[in-house]
Order: sequence, then C-alpha cells, then structure tokens
Amino acid sequence: MKKVKALILTTAGTNCDYESQAALQLCGASADRVHINVLLEKKDEILNYDILVFPGGFSYGDDIASGKILANEVKNKMGGVLQKFALSKRPVIGICNGFQVLVKMGLLPSVREFCQTSTLSYNDSGKFECRWVYLKTMKNIDGVSKCLWTRNLPEIISLPVAHGEGKFIVRDKDILDMLKNNEQIAFKYCSKDGSEADYPLNPNGSIEQIAGISNDFGNVFGLMPHPERYVFALQHPARQGYDGKFGWGKIIFQNAVDYVKG
Amino acid sequence: MKLKTTHCKEIDILNLSDKELLDLSKNNVLSLSLEEMKTIQDYYKNLKRNPTDIEIETIAQTWSEHCKHKTLTGIIDYLEISPQKKIHKQYNNLLKETIFKATMELKKKWCLSVFEDNAGIIDFDDKNAIAFKVETHNHPSALEPYGGSATGIGGVIRDILGVGLGAKPLANTDVFCFGKPNTPPKKVPNGMHHPKRIIGGVVSGVRDYGNRMGIPTVNGSVYFDDGYMANPLVFCGTMGIIPKNKIAKKTRAGDLVLVAGGRTGRDGIHGATFSSVELNKESDVSAVQIGNPIVEKKVLDAMLKARDLNLYRAVTDCGAGGLSSAVGELGENTGVEIDLKKVPLKYDGLRAWEIWISEAQERMVFAVPPKNKEKIIEIFAKENVEAVFIGVFTKDKKLKISYDGDLIADMDMSFLHKGVPKITRRAICEIKNEFEQKTIKMNSSEILKSLKKVLEDLNVCSKEWIIRQYDHEVQGQTIIKPLQGNNIEVSGPGDAAVIFPYTVVKGTKKAIVLSNGLNPEYGKINAYKMAASAIEEAIRNAVCVGGNIEKISLLDNFCWGNTDKEEILGSLIRAAKACYDFSKSFSIPFISGKDSLHNEYSIGQKKYSIPPALLISAMGVIENVSNTLTMPFKKEKNKVFILGLTRNELGGSVFSKINSIKDGVVPNVYPKESKPIMKKIYQAINKSLIESCHDISDGGLAAAVSEMAFSAGIGVKIDIDKVKIKGKMSPAEILFSQSNGRFVVEVDAKNEKKFRSLFKGTVFSQVGLTGGKDVVFESVKNKIKVMENPKKLMSSWQKTLQDI
Amino acid sequence: MYKIEIKTKENFRDARGEYYLYEIISMGFDNVKKVKYCPLYIIKGDISDGEAEIIARQLLIDEITEDYSIKKENEILSPIKVGGAIEVWYKKGVTDTVAQSVQKAVKDLGIDKKIEVNTGHKYYLFGDISDEDLALMAEKLFANTLIQGYEIENHALQRN
Repeated sequence: MKKVKALILTTAGTNCDYESQAALQLCGASADRVHINVLLEKKDEILNYDILVFPGGFSYGDDIASGKILANEVKNKMGGVLQKFALSKRPVIGICNGFQVLVKMGLLPSVREFCQTSTLSYNDSGKFECRWVYLKTMKNIDGVSKCLWTRNLPEIISLPVAHGEGKFIVRDKDILDMLKNNEQIAFKYCSKDGSEADYPLNPNGSIEQIAGISNDFGNVFGLMPHPERYVFALQHPARQGYDGKFGWGKIIFQNAVDYVKG
Repeated sequence: MKLKTTHCKEIDILNLSDKELLDLSKNNVLSLSLEEMKTIQDYYKNLKRNPTDIEIETIAQTWSEHCKHKTLTGIIDYLEISPQKKIHKQYNNLLKETIFKATMELKKKWCLSVFEDNAGIIDFDDKNAIAFKVETHNHPSALEPYGGSATGIGGVIRDILGVGLGAKPLANTDVFCFGKPNTPPKKVPNGMHHPKRIIGGVVSGVRDYGNRMGIPTVNGSVYFDDGYMANPLVFCGTMGIIPKNKIAKKTRAGDLVLVAGGRTGRDGIHGATFSSVELNKESDVSAVQIGNPIVEKKVLDAMLKARDLNLYRAVTDCGAGGLSSAVGELGENTGVEIDLKKVPLKYDGLRAWEIWISEAQERMVFAVPPKNKEKIIEIFAKENVEAVFIGVFTKDKKLKISYDGDLIADMDMSFLHKGVPKITRRAICEIKNEFEQKTIKMNSSEILKSLKKVLEDLNVCSKEWIIRQYDHEVQGQTIIKPLQGNNIEVSGPGDAAVIFPYTVVKGTKKAIVLSNGLNPEYGKINAYKMAASAIEEAIRNAVCVGGNIEKISLLDNFCWGNTDKEEILGSLIRAAKACYDFSKSFSIPFISGKDSLHNEYSIGQKKYSIPPALLISAMGVIENVSNTLTMPFKKEKNKVFILGLTRNELGGSVFSKINSIKDGVVPNVYPKESKPIMKKIYQAINKSLIESCHDISDGGLAAAVSEMAFSAGIGVKIDIDKVKIKGKMSPAEILFSQSNGRFVVEVDAKNEKKFRSLFKGTVFSQVGLTGGKDVVFESVKNKIKVMENPKKLMSSWQKTLQDI
Repeated sequence: MYKIEIKTKENFRDARGEYYLYEIISMGFDNVKKVKYCPLYIIKGDISDGEAEIIARQLLIDEITEDYSIKKENEILSPIKVGGAIEVWYKKGVTDTVAQSVQKAVKDLGIDKKIEVNTGHKYYLFGDISDEDLALMAEKLFANTLIQGYEIENHALQRN
C-alpha cells in the first residue's frame, strides 16, 4: 500500500517541526519538513502530499503579531493551491503558531470564503505560559466528532499549551453561531471533571473556552495545544496514556493518517 | 611588509613610560596590566615599529581574562591558615592542578572532549555524543537585564552550535542570583536597577530567546541575596547532541573563512575586556549587545544541513572578542588572512578595529574547503542566512588583516596566543572553626511556623512564575519536567530534568539528565564546604530522577568577587580544591567550566564583592528512559524511608537564616556514606523498588517531605524519633538540618523486603507512611506533633513569588 | 513618511495595556487609571497613500481586534485630553528586528519598493499624572534608556 505522505511547512522561527515529523512517522506516515522558500519554487508539489501541517514555533519571530507574516506570505504567494488542497478534503492541521497562521489567513473557519473572521489574541494574563490543560472533545449527539482529527478520543484528554497569543476571538456573533451550529468547535478547555474552566485551566481567556476549531467539513483543524508533544505516555506529567505506552496526542495524527488510507 | 594607516591608526607605544602604558590601557578599555603592556612594548620594539589600533585591540581581546582565564591559569602563591596549622603552596596553574587534574586522573573512557572545545562532550550511544556548556553573562545583565540575559542564552547556544562541527541544542538551563525583589527602592544603589526590574528583564530575555529558538528551558534555580543586588549573576546553559563523527575539527591551510548569520554593528564593543571591569554608574553602554533569536534559529537550521553534507572542516561561534577571537581560534595553528571590507555591516561608519572586535550576535565562523564554496552559500541562502567569505587560512602562522587592500595588522599567532605573561597573584585563606549552635528548643506550633517560613523563603519557594514563562516542553522531549505533580493542577519542585531525545535518535531508549547545585549561603562561612555541597547536591538531584553516578559529568562555573584581593582569591582556591577532592572521591569528572572573576561593584566610594558562587551543573546518561522517577508521593499507605545520616548541620541553613541563629556547622560531604546510597538508588529505581525519591537540601527533611506530599495532594505521617541521627539533636534540628547525602524515598509495602536487603550496609530507616489528610511530623519522646494540610503547605510554597 | 498607530478596538480587551497598568500600580503610581498600548510603525520611502493603507490594513493590524490611524509628515494627530502618553523608539544604530520583518512582509504584499521602517510603542496613560511621574515611568518601566529613547506628552486635567 502507498505510504501516506505529509508535508510539514517550515520557515524562519518554526520550532515544532521535528516532533511533528516524529508523531506522523510514529503513525506510519512519511513526513517531509519543507522550507517555504523551497516550496514556493514549486508550489504545485504540495498536491503530491496527503497531509499538510503548519507546525508550532515563532514564524518570523511573531513580529507584528503571531503568525501574521507567514499567513500573509502563504496567502499571497500560494493561497490558490493551498485552498485547492484544503477543498480536496485532505487533512490540514495548524498547531499553535500554525493555528494562528490558519486563522489569520482565513483558511479557518471557512476554506471556501478564505477570509479572516476570527483571531488569536494576547492571553488575558498578558504573558506567555507553558502548562498542561484539560480538553473536552466536542462530539455530536451520536458521539462522533465532526473534525476528522479528533475522532476516537475520550471525552476529556490533556495536552500541553505554550503560547502568549492564544485567546480565540470571533469577529461577531454570527461567526460564533456558525461555529456552534456546524459543530466546528473541536476542543474546549475544561476542568478535570469536564466542567467549565477558569484561568489557569483556560490559559488564555478564549471565548467559550475554545481551544481548537475545524472547517465545516472537518478536514482542516487548528488548535493551540500541542498534540505532537504527547505521543508517548511518558510525556504526560503523571505518565498517563493508553495501551500503557502512548499519549492521546498520537490518536490525533493517527486519525489523519487512517483517514487518508481510507 | 609595510602597514598602511588609511583605515587604522598607529598607536605610539615604543616610547611610553610605565605610567603612560597604564593610561593607554585604561583609556582604551584594554584591561591589560602593566606587565602585559610591557610585553607588548617589547614585542614591537623587536619589530622596530609601533602597533596599529587593530593590533592592540586584538591582543587585548585575546589576552582578556574572559578568553584566557589568566587568574586560574596563572601562578598563585597561596597561604592557608587554620587554627591547627599553616600551609604554604604555589600553584602554577590552578585549573590544571585541581579540576582538570581530577578529570585526567579519572580517565573516563566516555569523556570524549574535555576543557578544549566550546563545550564538554561525553558519550551518549554508539553513534551520538552529548555536549554541555554553562556560561555567565553578569555585567551586561546588570545594565540591560533583558538584552543581557537574551544574549547570554544566545551566546551559550552558539557555544553548542560551535562545538565540534556543531551540535543540535536539546535543552537550556538557567540559574540566577538576584537581589531580593522586595528590597525598598531607596536601598538600591544610585544608578542601578531595582532587583525587581532586573528579575523581570532577565527572565523575559531568557524566555524570548529560548522560546523563539525552540529550545526548552528545563532546569535551573534562583538564589536571592542582597549581595547580588547591584551585580546579579546570570548563568545560562545549553545541552546538545552531536554525531560522534562530527566531533573532530581541524582547519587546513587553504580553507576559506566564512562568516554567516547576523550582520556586524557597533554592539558589544569591548565586551570581553569589559567583563573584567568593576561596575559603576558610568559603565560603558556599548558593551551591550542586541540579540535576534530568529537569525540564530536560521543559522542553526542551515548549518546542521551543511554539517551533514560535510561542507566545512571547522566552526566556532563569535562570542566575546567577536571575529578577532573566533578567527584567531580557528587559525591559531595555521595562520589567516582577512579582508575586513568584506564583512557585512549593519550600517556604515565602523572603523576597521570595531568590525574586528564587535560582539554583534548570531554570527558563526567556518573553515570551508574551496571546493564547497558554492554549495555552502546555496544552503545558507535557502534559509535566508547571509554568508560571506572574508579570507583564507594560510600556513605562515601569522594573522594578517587588510582593509580594502591595505594591510593593517601583521602579527605572529604564537605571540597572540602564547605571549601573555604569566602573572603571580597572592592568595590567603583563613579557616575558622565552626561551632554547633545552642540547642534549638521549639514547641510544635513554633516548628510549624518555621516550616511555613522555610517554604515561603525566597530560596525555597516555588519559581513557577518563572518556569511557566519558559516553553519547557518544546521539542516534546522533556519527560521529567521542572514542576512535578500527580495531576496537572498540583505541582512541586523537581530535582532534575530528563530529556528523551527520541526525535533525534530514532528508536533510542536512552535519556539525558540535567541538574545543578548551588549554595552561596555556605560560601559565606566555608568556601570548601560550599563547593563540596554544590557538587553533591547536583549529583543527588540527578540520582533522584534515575541518574547513574557511573555516568554523570560535571561543569563548574565560578562567579567570584575581585580576585586581586588575596582573601577572595584564597576562598576560590579552597573551592577549586574541593572540586578536585570530591570529583575524585565520587569518581565523577568535570568536563567543562567557566569563570567570571571580577564581580565587584561600588556604592559611593566603597567597593563590594559579591558573595562567591560556585554553580555545579551535572549532565548524565540514563540507560532506560522508563526507569526514571518524579518526586511526588504516588499513593497512600506506602512506606517512607530516609536514606543517609542526619547530623547537626545547621550552619548556613534556611532555618538558621529565618530564625537568626548564629553559629552552626556547615554541612560537610561524606562520599563514603553517600556514594553507596546513590549507587543503590539507581539499582532500586531500575528494579522498580522505589515509587518516588526526593533530595534533602534547603529546608531539610521537613521541607522535602512536605514537597512530596503537597505535590501529590496526599498526607504523610513521619516519626521524627525514627530518623537516624548522629549525636544528640532536638526535633527542630532533625527536621531542618541540611546534612548532605540524604534522600526521602517512598516504597510500596510489597517491595519493602527487597528494598531493605538492597540497602543493607548503608544508614537508613523507615520513618513513616503516606496517607491521611495531613502532613504530620511527630516525636512522642519530645511531645512534638506538627500537623498541617498539604494544600496549606503548598500555598505557603507558592505564594511568595506568585505575582512578582 | 507615514506614521501608523495601531489601536485595540474598544470592544476588545487590551491585555498588554492591562499588564502595564498592573506593573505601574505595583510600582506605586496609583493615580493611573488605565493604560492603552499602541504599537507604532514609521515607514519611509517612495510609497503612495494607498500603499500605506494596504500595509496598515493587511499587515500591521489584526482586522478582528485592531484599528489603525495613519499620520503623514507634518500632520498633527489631535492630542488626547485625558492624561499622558509615552512614545518609545529605538536609538539610532540599535538593531530593530521587527522593522526588518516588516520590510520582508511588505515585499510579500507585492509592494516591491525601497522602504525604511522603524518600530516604536505608544502608551496612553489615563489619569492625572505629573510630568515627573511620566518621566519616571518611562525610565523605570517603558523604555530602557540604554537602547531606547522616549518622548512624553502630557495633558493632565488640572493643568488644562
């Protein structure tokens, strides 16, 4: 069987590319880390890949605002082919800085509209923070997640966050209603028992405790927490996981790989 | 060959008197002594010409204390006076006769590069090695805390990029000594920043640089003392991994000199010589550099690609002394010709010598075989890194610098690197007897009050405010974290960090442990015991999480006051002697080190030296990452043991400080007792006989047990009468003594038998049981029962620095 | 020359402003009631008014939470009437890394012209504050005078 191929887009300041690559490899995919300068020379090659990853980091130092410069660069120089990739229902994920990029160029929450209607702003605490949080996996009444990346997860998992600009905000109520009605909210920050969380378990003050969203089809996914840092149980502060060995973050990547396999 | 002075100035030195030579040194911030200036004068008398400005600057940089460590490698005439005897001894090279000597004598096969390259390197597995370096960046951090600490971390990361043919950084460490954040503003010396501003700035600087580089800051500590108010200490460390076949580097004649990374500006001129100058209000501001982590990240990404394609033969970083030191180091055994006009500049108007010694950040220098010329430039260009050839390595063992075709420097490498005259310094150390304090009698409520005060103490309390600002999880490899708890809401202080480099070494089971030891409070009384304690603390911390003392290496960082003063240099010698003694007795080698010796500041007319600080950092290899431990208690009804003997050692303790107790014996180190215990802990962890393990240090066993309980969210009951002690001690003394060599461990009842038989022959005892809702310390004999809820103890521990 | 000032829209939280307010109060200046933080950019070079608008709108602001105003050379923005303001800029010769990023990003927008960029910060301090206190706050908190210069405007209520 053909190996699932993932592209991890890197640029100056990307710094979660190796662990994202390792996570995908652990799930049986091949994963190339490709610098944007290289990709821009042959943009259409992106269509030879099955999965696209916008990894975490500080693209261009997060100068001006986090993810902003890369969002503009990608949209202006290869927006067309990127939109085509996403519309072809292939899995796309933006993690932390990658989420900021997806939201600021508008690939989320609507690939078709491709314009910015939400943002990730400065944490209410005003500072960068690294900690583990609980996340509630959002499911419909049948118990299935719309987002293909978050399927097969228990109701509550934990993942680490590390960011200074992670407060999810929408342009207006219509956008929030759309996210809710279309079941595009994939993860919410919560407390241990799943109830609504305040700071620090909601680490940034996001509206509705939103930690991650997807597009309406569910193939494009963005989240502030880092699933790639929790593929082994050992990486959890209390060493919890599944099958005595793996961390819940692995499932997220496995979902995308399995989805491509069909 | 005749030098031209279009782009440089001739400095008249041939006819200067002694006084004029000294004035020249001082006015140009050369930090050269009279003897050194006279050596230079003689050299040029021989050449029958005056030096150019760039030549003098080059000598000053190369001979700086920062680059040459003249004090520690010079001749020291040492006198030691104790109540019993006098010892007189001459050291011809203190470093070689103490720290380095121990390493040589221990002859560890797994030490791959010690005290020669930019960092120490030890074996990791068949194919890979790990490198570790810790640097200080004190003076710049006092003046510009944010920029100073950012460039401090940036600089030590470059040390790791510049070790061998370049290592990939896996983790950072940071240790700070500050004035107290609650210092009343009017007590802050005129012209100095308030400690709070220094703390905020330093932490943000490390945060912004480390986080942007994508290197987790995983281990560190913060020590507060008024003595560091005007002269904070900022220690930054980086650990990296390197393929074993990329460790050796050698420049060859004909290789091209490539400078890559940031552009050169006027920043950081005289940083190397400046670090030997005492701080005052008028301190030179151009000594501060500005960092840009994203440029360094790009350099890192590009150079590792070039390394793996074998495109260069040698590399080093531009640190103190800038190009002059980096190029000089790579060309020391060949010779080099440089055209400074080719160096990319941030802006016009730099004089040639400024380009040469500028400490602008994020630059690396490579020796590139001509055949790889195009390829390497292409690699750097792909990552948007500017890389320019500025010269060629020769075989005439000379340093020749030209600018726009004019020769402006022409000197012998041998004079530059070996010409510095050895200085003789005098040192004296008076060793005083220490006496036990008057027996401390406290009732239960007084003990509880002390326990809370200990947990609230600046030097014990939670540093969560700092730790959370660092991305200690990036790279996904931090499997023993700086804050540890049994779920994600509670936390306690981890002993050491463990990095599991699975993204770099595919399929590995091995891991790397990093820890540190530091206790300047002991140094105020006894520098020898301070060093011994720091060494053992660093080792103990590593052992607690699963480190194997057979494979731990150490780094030393001396930050001392003005060592021109005999008694200050004397205490340094005592500390260096302890390094030798305990490196030998634990059979644990030093692999690298650094010193910063002129930490002196003035308030008004009076000069003050900082309390001496020896930071010991440890790096070790763990065979199986699964056999590692966190410190919180794991469950109720487990047995609690204390390993090691508790002595009446309260000198320099946190307890004595908060209760203003005079006297007291500073904790000593007893390797014959503690080394077997540490070996057995390793075995016990690998046989899964221990559930948790925590080092006893600041705050004594009362603090250690409390931390294990509150980070687990469960209670514990300790019987003070069961603690193994030496001589007679009161309950408070037992609870708060800071004797070295001790651990608290948690053992599941089903493993007790095996555990006891393993530890047979060492001093240990079962002292209690986990469980219940309170932390309880009881002595029936003395009618003492101290009880508190673990949540309340945690809030004492957390509140002090919560919102700094 | 265009001077572009970025503001957080009224209905969104200015977390950085709140952070500085907290710092100021903990320094003992309880006469400051609110701080508003505004990034500043100066763009010099051969660009048109329209291009300056594009740069501001597409690059420098977050459309959701921020607004901007552009001031051209010789144009005076109406001063605030509520308290003081401190502007902080890098001194000449100090590397302005954000400015370098802005230059790159402007090219990505398709504006391929030679421009010079400076970045700065403006802090509006609401409350009745003396000139001395403003200078003290600038030196102790907002500017590091080793590498940054600052300018103060003051419109304290009592002195109007």
